[in-house]
Amino acid sequence: MNSIIPLIKNETVKMVRKKRFYVILLVLLVLVPMFTYAQMKISQRNQEKFGSDWRRSVQQAITDNQNSLGSARIPEEWKKFRQVYIQQMKYYLDHDVNPQQPGAVTFTREFMDNASSLFIPLLIMGIGSDIVSSERTAGTVKMLLTKPVRRWKVLLSKLITLIMFVSLTVVSTFVICYGISGLVFGYQGFDMPVFAGFQLQGSNVDLSAVHALPQWLYLFMQMGLIWFVGVVVALLAFMISVLVRSTAASIVIMMAALIAGSILTNMASAWTSAKYLFMVNLELTHYLSGTPAPIEGMTLGFSLAVLAIWGIASLVVSFTVFTKQDILN
Amino acid sequence: MQHTSISEQRDSSGKTVLQVKHLKKKIGKKWIIHDVTFDVREGEIFGFLGPNGAGKTTTIRMLVDLIKPTEGTIEICGFNVHKDPERAMGYIGSIVENPEVYSYLTGWENLEQFARMLQGVDDERIMEVVEMVRLEQRIHDKVRTYSLGMRQRLGIAQALLGRPKLLILDEPTNGLDPKGIKEMRDFIRRLAADGMALFVSSHLLSEIQLLCDRVAIISHGQVLAVGKVDELIQNNSNYVVWEAHPRESAVDFFANKRIKVIDDPEQILDDSVMAGISPEAIVTQMEGGQMAEFVALFTEQGVQVQSVYKINPTLEQLFLELTEGESIE
Amino acid sequence: MRSSSRVWRIVSFLSFVTTLLLLCGFIYAVKDITYPSASSGMELVPSTDQKDQPAVSPGQTGIVVIGDSLAKGTGDDEGLGFAMRTVQLLQEKDKNQEVRLFGNLGINGLTTDSLSEELKEKGVQYMLKEANVILLSIGGNDLFNGGQALENGDDLPTAKELNASIDAASVKLKSVAKQIVAINPDATLVYIGLYNPFSDLQEMRSIGNTAAARWNMLALETFNPYRNALVVPTYDLFAGNVSKYLSGDHFHPNGEGYQQIAERIVQSLN
Repeated sequence: MNSIIPLIKNETVKMVRKKRFYVILLVLLVLVPMFTYAQMKISQRNQEKFGSDWRRSVQQAITDNQNSLGSARIPEEWKKFRQVYIQQMKYYLDHDVNPQQPGAVTFTREFMDNASSLFIPLLIMGIGSDIVSSERTAGTVKMLLTKPVRRWKVLLSKLITLIMFVSLTVVSTFVICYGISGLVFGYQGFDMPVFAGFQLQGSNVDLSAVHALPQWLYLFMQMGLIWFVGVVVALLAFMISVLVRSTAASIVIMMAALIAGSILTNMASAWTSAKYLFMVNLELTHYLSGTPAPIEGMTLGFSLAVLAIWGIASLVVSFTVFTKQDILN
Repeated sequence: MQHTSISEQRDSSGKTVLQVKHLKKKIGKKWIIHDVTFDVREGEIFGFLGPNGAGKTTTIRMLVDLIKPTEGTIEICGFNVHKDPERAMGYIGSIVENPEVYSYLTGWENLEQFARMLQGVDDERIMEVVEMVRLEQRIHDKVRTYSLGMRQRLGIAQALLGRPKLLILDEPTNGLDPKGIKEMRDFIRRLAADGMALFVSSHLLSEIQLLCDRVAIISHGQVLAVGKVDELIQNNSNYVVWEAHPRESAVDFFANKRIKVIDDPEQILDDSVMAGISPEAIVTQMEGGQMAEFVALFTEQGVQVQSVYKINPTLEQLFLELTEGESIE
Repeated sequence: MRSSSRVWRIVSFLSFVTTLLLLCGFIYAVKDITYPSASSGMELVPSTDQKDQPAVSPGQTGIVVIGDSLAKGTGDDEGLGFAMRTVQLLQEKDKNQEVRLFGNLGINGLTTDSLSEELKEKGVQYMLKEANVILLSIGGNDLFNGGQALENGDDLPTAKELNASIDAASVKLKSVAKQIVAINPDATLVYIGLYNPFSDLQEMRSIGNTAAARWNMLALETFNPYRNALVVPTYDLFAGNVSKYLSGDHFHPNGEGYQQIAERIVQSLN
C-alpha cells in the first residue's frame, strides 16, 4: 500500500464517528454563551459607570493602574505588567483608537487570547489523548497492525488526522465565538484598528514600530499562533497516547501538565529555568498584543524554539516507541 | 524430546505457506517461547494445541508481526514477516484473540476501514466476504449491537478481505454456542477445501481432533510434537479399560503380551474419567486394533470379559504422556 | 458507505483549507512580531464618534477629580473620598439634577510637577473637557512630601525648607491652573486648600500652620484671575481637630474628614 491517503481517510471517519469532535463543538456551544453573557454584564456595568464613553473608561483604567504602581506591596513583575499596560493604553488614547471597541470581533479576539493557553489546548487534548490509546484499550490496534501496512504509516496517518482536527478546532472556536457573541454585541468590527508591534524592554515599551492593523488581520495572526500552540500540544498528547495504554491516564497526564503550566505562568518569574517548559510558553498571542512574558528573557523566537523542540522530541519518541513496541495485549 | 514426525515426510504435497524456524522470545529476563518450529502447507488445517498460558497467543502475535521474535525466523510465502511486513502480511488474514472491531462503526464501515489498508479490495469484494460469513442482514448495523457470534463472523470477514493464502484463527470457537461451533467448523473446512491454509489455535483437543489435519502441540513455550492428529493420538495415549474375571489372569495375559498396565491410573486419568471406572478395572495402554485380539484371546482362555472400552485421551493426558515419556526415557 | 465518503470529502477539504490559512496566519504573525515596522499596517481614519454629542447634557453635573492622594480619597475607610461624598451630597441637595462622577484621576504622591505632565495626556485632557465641575487637590506632596518624613522618621522639614518648597511649587501651581483652564475654560474649577497635618506635633505646629497659610494665600492668588475657579479652605476644619478628622497615618483625612471637605465643596458650589 503506497498511498497514505486511504489511511487518513480511515482515521478521519473514525474521529467523526467516535463523536469526539462533536463533543468539542458542544463544549464550545455551551461555554461561549456563558462567556458572552459575562462579558455583556461587564459592559453593562461599564456603561453605567462611564456612559458610552470609552475614553473615560480607558483613562480611569490608566489612573487606577498608576495608583497601584505606587504601592510597595505589589510585586515587581505585576508592576511591569501594569506599566506596559499603561503605556499601551495611552498609545490607544493618543491615537484615538478604542482598544475595546464593542462587537463580536473584539469579543472573539479577547476570548481567543484568553483561550490560547488552557482552553483550546484542553479541547485539543480531548481529541489527541485517545487517538492511539483508544485503539489499544479496545484492542483494535491488533487489526490495524496485522495489515500489510508499515507501522510508521499507520502512526503518521493518525498524526496527520490529528493536525487536521487541530485546525478545525481552532477555526470552530472562532466561528462559534463570533457567531454567538454577534447575537449580543453585533457582528461588526472586522476593520477596526488594533495596535501591534509594541516592543518591550523591561517595563518600557518601545513604540517606534507600533502599527495599526485591522482586527481581521490581527485575528488571522492570532489564530495562526494559537494553531501552532495547538499543534505542539497535539504532538505531546499524541506521544502520551502512544506511551500510555489507558486513555484516562493519558488525559490526566496532559491535563496536569497544562494546568501546572497555567499555575507556573503566574508564579514562575522567580524560577527562571521554568521558561524551558513547554507549558509556560503557550501564550504566544501575548507577543502579538505586547503583554509581557511571564519570565524574563522569553521572546517569540525563544518560545517557538522551546515549543518546536518539545514537539519534535515527542514526535521522535512516538515514532520510535510505536514502531518498535511489542503489542502484548 | 520425542518428536513425532512420521507424517511430515509423507504428506508434503502442498506448497509451504508458513514456515517457522527456531522461534524464540524473551520478555524481560524470561524466555516465553523456547524453540518453536513448524510449517503450514496450502490447503491444510493446521492445529496449534496447548493449554492456556503455553505460549500460543505469543507465538501467533509473532506470526502476525505484533511482537518481534528475539530469535528465529517466520516466513510467509517466502517473505520474512519482520523484514518485509508489507509483502508478508499481504498473504495473511488473522484474528488474534477476540475479534476486536470498532463498535461505533457499522459492520460495513469496519470492513471498509480494513479494505482501505489492503490492495485491490473493492466494494464487490466486501460484499462477497459478507455473503461468505452470512452477515448480509445486519451488515449496516452498528457493531455494538452485534452478538459475539456475529462479531466473530465479522472478524473472519475482515480476515478474508485480502484473499489471504493463510488464515490465522486464535481460538475461533471460544464463546460460541454449540450451533455456532458447528457452523464455524464447517466454514473452516470449506475454506480449506478452496485451497486456503488455516492455522487454528485451541486449548481443546476435541476441537483440534475434529477439525485439523495436522497439529503442533505446545507447552511451556516449547513444541512437544508436530504431526497428523490421528497418528499423534494413536501413538501416544490409548487407554483401554478392561473389566475381566478373574482379574489376575487378565493381568498376567497382558504382562505376557508386553502390554503396559497402569498401576495407579488416577495419576494419569483425571477424576471425571476415574469416577466411571470401577476399582477392579484394569487400565492398559494399547493400540485400538489390539482390543479385538485380546477379547478373542480371553474368551478362548476362559477369562470373562465384562466390559472393555477405549478412553479418548484428554489434552492433559496427552501432555502428561508427552512430558513423562521424556522423563522416563 | 455513501455517508462516510461524504464526511471524508467535507472534513478533508475543510481541514486542508483551514490548515493552510492558519499556517499562513502563523507565518505572518511571526514575521510581524519579529520584524515589526511602523510603516506597515493600515492608515488610521480619525474616529467619527468624537464629540458627536456633548458629554454633559443639561440637567446633569459631571464631576472629574484630579490631583494627589486626597483627590483619590486615601485614608477613607469607605473608599469614597471627597469626590464620591461630594457627588452624594449634591445629589441629595437637588434631586432633579443628575450628578455623576465621570472619573477620579487622583494618583497617590502626585506633585504639581507630575500633575503638569499628566495634564498633557490626551486621555486626561479628554476627561477634563467632558466635565463641568473639576475638583483639584494638589500641593500637599510638594510641601510635606506626603507625610513621608513622618512615616519614615526622617527629619521634619524646617521652616526655611518649607518656604523654599512653597516658592517653587506655587510657580508650578500657576502653570497647572493655566493648563486646566486652557483645557476646559467653562467648567467650575474647585481647588481644595491645604491644611496643616502636623498641628498635633509640638515642633511642627507653628511651622506647618505658617506654611499652610502661606500656600493657601498663594493658591487664592493663583485662582483668583479665573472667573470659574474657586478655592475651598480646609485649614480651619482640621486645626485642632486633627485626631478627629485624620486617619491612622496622621496625614490623610479619614472618612469623617473627607465628609467635612465634601460639605465645604458643596457649599462653595452654590
